Parts: sequence; structure tokens; C-alpha cells
Amino acid sequence: MSEFNNKRQNSYIVKNALLETGFAREESVNGSFIHATTTALQNVSIENGKITRVWSGDIRAEGSEVVDAKGYLMLPAFKDMHVHLDKTLYGLPWQAVSSRRKTIYDMIAYEQQIIPALLKTSTHRAEQLIGLMQSYGTTFARTHFNIEPTSGFRSLENLQKALENVKDQFDADLVAFPQHGVFYTDSAALLTEAAKLDSVRFIGGVDPYGVDRAIEKVLDLTVGLALDNDKGIDIHLHDSGKEGLDTVEYLIRKVEENPSLKGKTFISHAFVLGRLDAKVLSGVAERLAEARIGIVSSIPFAGLVMPIPVLTRHGVQVFAGNDNIQDHWSTFGSGSMLQKAHLMAQLYGWTSEYDLSRAMKFATGNILPLSDDGVRIWPAAGDLAEFVLMEASCSAETVARISPVKAFVHKGNISWAADL
Amino acid sequence: MVKKADKYSPAGLSRKAFIKNAAWTLVGTAIAPTLLKARAADVSGLDSCQNSGDSRRYVLKNVRLETGFEYREGEVVATQTGLFCVEIQGKKILSVKHNEPDATAVDAEGRLMLPAFRDMHIHLDKTFYGDKWQAVRRLPGGVKGMIQLEQEILPDMLKNSVCKAGKLIELLQSKGSAFARSHVNIEPTSKLLSLRHLQAALDDKKQRFGAELVAFPQHGVFYTDTAPYMREAAKAGIDFIGGVDPYTVDGAIERTMDFTVGLALEFDKGIDIHLHETGDSGLRTVDYLIKKVEENPKLKGKTYLSHCFCLARLDQAKQQDIALKLAAAQIGIVSTIPFGGLIMPIPTLLKHKVKVMTGNDSIIDHWSTFGTGSVLEKAHLAAQLYGKRTEFDLSRMLALATAGRTPLDDKGVRIWPAAGDPSDFILMKASCSAEAVARISPVKSLYYQGYKVF
Repeated sequence: MSEFNNKRQNSYIVKNALLETGFAREESVNGSFIHATTTALQNVSIENGKITRVWSGDIRAEGSEVVDAKGYLMLPAFKDMHVHLDKTLYGLPWQAVSSRRKTIYDMIAYEQQIIPALLKTSTHRAEQLIGLMQSYGTTFARTHFNIEPTSGFRSLENLQKALENVKDQFDADLVAFPQHGVFYTDSAALLTEAAKLDSVRFIGGVDPYGVDRAIEKVLDLTVGLALDNDKGIDIHLHDSGKEGLDTVEYLIRKVEENPSLKGKTFISHAFVLGRLDAKVLSGVAERLAEARIGIVSSIPFAGLVMPIPVLTRHGVQVFAGNDNIQDHWSTFGSGSMLQKAHLMAQLYGWTSEYDLSRAMKFATGNILPLSDDGVRIWPAAGDLAEFVLMEASCSAETVARISPVKAFVHKGNISWAADL
Repeated sequence: MVKKADKYSPAGLSRKAFIKNAAWTLVGTAIAPTLLKARAADVSGLDSCQNSGDSRRYVLKNVRLETGFEYREGEVVATQTGLFCVEIQGKKILSVKHNEPDATAVDAEGRLMLPAFRDMHIHLDKTFYGDKWQAVRRLPGGVKGMIQLEQEILPDMLKNSVCKAGKLIELLQSKGSAFARSHVNIEPTSKLLSLRHLQAALDDKKQRFGAELVAFPQHGVFYTDTAPYMREAAKAGIDFIGGVDPYTVDGAIERTMDFTVGLALEFDKGIDIHLHETGDSGLRTVDYLIKKVEENPKLKGKTYLSHCFCLARLDQAKQQDIALKLAAAQIGIVSTIPFGGLIMPIPTLLKHKVKVMTGNDSIIDHWSTFGTGSVLEKAHLAAQLYGKRTEFDLSRMLALATAGRTPLDDKGVRIWPAAGDPSDFILMKASCSAEAVARISPVKSLYYQGYKVF
């Protein structure tokens, strides 16, 4: 993990920022194809955490503070849309996962055993994990936090302390996550309390069938809490087969009945979509798109591959996240969103300049410098000053090569790699 | 390059013969005469080292070594480690002794010592690394389209290939690799120039990096008129006779394979052929190679199939059957660990004692731009892909990064490092092999033949 030096900054001009300006086409026997991305060195004015102007020309007349981007590529900062910052072993002595714990119930029992000790240091470890993610250019996360009888509100409180400590450089949306089931353990009352908190943005959940054996009862509670408290929904769904599909269908129905949930309801993992035949999948994808229910994936590739190209083709919003970085569920997470975009490019065969440039959106939470037609849409006046400076020539190279992060900027505050 | 008594080296080729041949190839090339002189001087230097022992002798202290597995109810729950002094003499580890924190010695600061990594399939001669970014262009015509593309771009790529190979080697070193098996293009466009450039790049790093070379007829043995160049290459300091998809490229399995096997036998080389063909022709190529190796037992232990995608398409019974035959013929499989469309039956191969090794293959070139240069990352990928998540399973996956070596055997007995082992190792910021594989831990130091690379 690289070290970064943070600096609070309000209004300044970034000069020598390498920005993408369009696609370059080449004629070949098979017609015209995009063979490169064009770029230019430009200035970006920043005021009060926002981009106010993107321009070319002489900077001397301006009189503002100037930051030299040194020709590094400016890209939207990375967003990790599914992570568990509250519950990590990162920073603790190495511990592999055990093959003894096979079922979700084994895992719940194990969590009940280890959480009291983990909570003692969870603030510090969340900060360390955030530091790792920042070193890979991530300035925003959607994090689930455990809400169950063992943790009570302590996992949330400890996480909030960590977020408060890094607030100039990092931000997060919080999902109240009843990891031990809403009813399997007595979590409904806790979840109801959590739903009332201003700091909580989403009502979470996990396998209404797989854990609670009650799809409708759990989803009715989840949807009710979201509606009563004006929150979004983001539930974990690992269940495959009929129950998995039933869960998706029921959620779609509920969102269609309650249009205020459109655009703020998400299914994380949704492995069942990876098991459907093409025709059924295409129907489900269409309805997800209509209900504006998004899918958040950690991009599995062993055994099950998510049909992400099909989902996006139907207009479903797809986000990516690291999920577990290093904990008792998995020890394989890198913490890097760029690594996820790279993995997707390999998995789905996105090898051309154009396809690689599009893959970048999975690292940035669907923000891209260039539109599909090659028109620059980012950065623009009014955009948040959330960006990274990369040692790369364009988005495509960044994804293919997992290029190094030289600086990350959150709310205008710039953090430079220590070697600069 | 290949050392005389290198236990890692399946080919076991004579270094002296290699150096002699390598020096010979430089005659009449574009490479400066000073380089030739330098190489001649090295030949005597190396010979004297081998005959009278290497005088370089030092001790590393506070070296973390794995000492055993910790079991709970029959499951390996942790790897035990201890701090040691490791004495190095030249290219060998001389001894492993109890730690002396106050000794006058190089301080390893508690870092974990692991065998240096080995990238067993790469194309060091043919890369864009260090040059301007360019994405892959999808071309019509499959492999023959790619051959045509190479015929167009290779002359230009060769202009700075010595420099790019050097940079690529530095990337591999930074990821902990001290050794590579590199394929090198032999075809009518490059002739022997790609080989000569790579040999020059390797010569420049020779006390920091080892390699064995595969003469690779990328444009077919007969599809382009490559056979005469392959013969020439076989005399020019290479270690393996390579090949690519005999059926698809040359249109005939037997004719190409007979040429390959014949050349390997005539010049006492190993074999390592690329086989991407997934269908019946792929399987027939595997069968034919097994037959040829069984007929010529001296090829056992030095014959390899790279990629060998056809194994992924077989049912489990057939996979097992082929694995047994490969193991009996001592034919190894070198895989880049593909995922997505095709998944290699690596656990099945390992179960039946087939030697499996990995490599990055393309780092960044006109075939692919996705290579990281890290074989530890390949081991990590394999662990994820094949569900090797526990302490024990993760520790076993390290063997992919080291071409077979692990500090502990399956029972948890320390087998590395031992007196007499090559002094090729890394120091990692990790507590054990399992953590190194799961977390792709950073490599803090690399030693090759007792020389500190960084």
C-alpha cells in the first residue's frame, strides 16, 4: 500500500491535467474502428469541492492557487459500491478461512463468537481498510454494517467514528445489514431502529429464503422500512434456483407497487441471474431495468459468471464492489476497484481500446470521461471535485494495466502519493 | 540461463555448451563486438566458479522460515514459522542455523523467505512493454491473420527489442521472479534476430536473472518456411524446441510433431509447444506427443505442453485418463490459468502428479495487454478459481509461482531451504505462504544466485 499525503484545499486551479477528448478512428479493410483515445493537457478550476471550469490557455493571469497535475491522467475517483468496512480482519494477524464452517448458519454462529472481540478494534481497522482503498484511488464506498443482536449498534458506531476521522478524504453511504437474518436472530427491532437514523441510507438484507425461510415476510418488512423512512434498499441475494428467482420477482413487484423505490433499490450479488437460461434472463433483465433496480456485483469468476453484459444491454444499472477484502468470509479482496474493472475486461473479453475504455465505468460508479460516441462528458462545470490522477495515457490503458494512482481528490482535498 | 546442476531445470542442459553456442550466435550480428568480448570473459569466469567454488559467502539473520503446520481437530489452522540464520555461499545455500540476532550479518528484519518465483511461459522477445500504449486490434483470419500482422510489425518491434526485454525482465524481478522460460520467435521475418536480441538483453542481466529459451516457430514450421531457421536456432543456445498448433497452422499434426521431436532428439533439447486447439485435433496432438515421448524416453521430464486448452473440454473420466498418461510420460503442462470461457483441470492434473507450472505469457503486446508480470498473482488467481481458500490449500498453491517448490511438504515438514539448494530466494512482507498467496504480499527483496537484485 502506497502512502499518501493529505492536504485540505478549497479553491485552486489544476494545471497540466491530461483529459480525454475523444476517440481516434482508423480505416481498415473491415471498416473504421477506434484504435486510440485522444487527450489534451488542460486546466481545471475547483471551488468549494466542485469543478467550476475546464479550460485551456495561459494560467498566469488567473491569480488563484495552482496545483500542477504533472501531465497525469485525470479520471473520476473510484467508488466501491459493496464493501463491509465494519467487519474486517485487515490489519490483524493473518488468518485463513476455515473449511469447517460450511453453511450460513455456521457463519452466523461463528460471527456471534468473534464479533465482541472484533468490535474492540473495529474503528481502527476500518480506518486502515479505508487507507488501503484510498491508495487505490477510491474516495467513496457503499458499506454494509452489521445490525444484529450480538453487535447491536456498536458496529455502526465504531464505523461512524472511523468515517468521521477520514471525512476530508473519504465518504460512504451506509446500509443497515441484518447479517444474522431478520427473524433467524431477533434483529427486526434493531433494523427498525437503524432505519430511523439519518446516517443510514439503505435497508439491507440477506437471503430472505436462505436465512429466514420467508421471502415475502422479510421483503415486506424491508420494503416497509424503506418506505416509512425514505431510504433505499440493497439486499444480499446469494440464493440461486427457484427461491432466488422468487426473491427477485417479489422485489420487482414491490418496487413497481411503490414507484418511490425506483432508482434506489439494489440487489447485491444476485447469483441467480447467472444461472438462468438466456430467454428467462432477458425477461428478468428487462423488468429490472423498468423497475430501475440495480445490481451490485463483486464480479465472481469461479464457477459462476454474472451476465453483466446482458444486464447492461437491457439498461440495468450495474455497480461493482470488493465485498470482502480480508475477513472470515474471504481473504482474496485487493481493495482496488480498478482491479475489478480489469478482471471484468478479462472475463468478458473487453480487449479493444473502446471496450476497455467502457470498462472503466465499473470502477467509477458509472461515470466516464467520454460518452459512447466519444464526446467528453466529464469533467464538466458543476461536477463534484472527486477525481484521481493516474500514471497512464487513457482510460483503456488504465484498465488494462491497472495503472498506479498518483493522487486522489475528495471534495477538492488533494492527497498526493508520498513519492511526489 | 540453465545451470549445470540446477535441480529446477527439467532440461538439465549444460551451461558451458549453452554459453559456447550463445557466443557463437553473436558472430555476424548487429550487436557490438564489445558485448562478444564481455561474454567470452564471462565464460572463463563462470567456469572457474564452478570448478573451485564461489568465494561469495555471507549470512542473512532474522530470516523467517516456515517450520510446520499447526493443526486443530485435524485441520491446518496456521503455519508455524521461526527466525533463522541462513548462510549463503555463491549460488548455493550453505546452511540453515538457529537465529543469532546480534550476528554481523545481513538483516532480513523478520521477512518471510520463499523460493524465488519462476515465470515458466513468457515471450520476453516480443513486447510493447516500455513503449507507447496500444490496445489489441481484433483481426480477421484467426492465428493466420495474426501471423500476417506479425510479419508487418516485427521488423519495427525488433528495433528496440533489447531495451524492451530488459525493462520487462525488471518488471518480473520487481514481482519476485528470478527466472523465466521465454519463448523466442523463430520465423523467416525475424530469422534469428529476435533470439539474438533477447540473448543480449539476458546477458546484460546475467548475474541478476536466469532464463531458458524456447525456439518458437510462431508462424508455423511449414506454413512459412521456418524449418531451416529452427535447425539453426537449435545450434544457437536455445534449450527447448517450441511449436504452435500443428494442425491449425501447418495443417498436419504428424509432420510438424515429427520435425519437433526429431530436432529435440538430434540436439538434445527439451520440447515446449503451444497448443490452443480445443477440439479433436488438439487431443490428437496430445496423444501423438505422448506416444513420441514414450518411444523416446530421454524426452521424459523435459517435454511440456503450454496452454493445452483441449484438456478443459474433456469429461472428467477422459481428463483423468490423459492426466495419468501425461504423468507416466513425465510431460508437464504450462498454463496461464485462463478463466471465464475455459477453465483448465489443474486440480485433476496435480492430483495425478502431472507437473503443472504457470507463466504470464503476454504482458503487453499485440496478443494481450492484461499481464501483470507476477506469477504470485497467478497462484492467487488459481486459488480463487479452484476454491483453494484454507491455510493448507493456499500454502500448496505457492508451488505454481515457484515452479514446484514449497517450504513445507504436504505433511508440514520443512523441505526448503536446505543446504545445497540454489540461493535464489525472495524476502516478503508476509507471515507465511498462505498469506502471501491470498494477499499477493509485496516482495521486499530478490536474490538470484546469491546476488541481491534489490
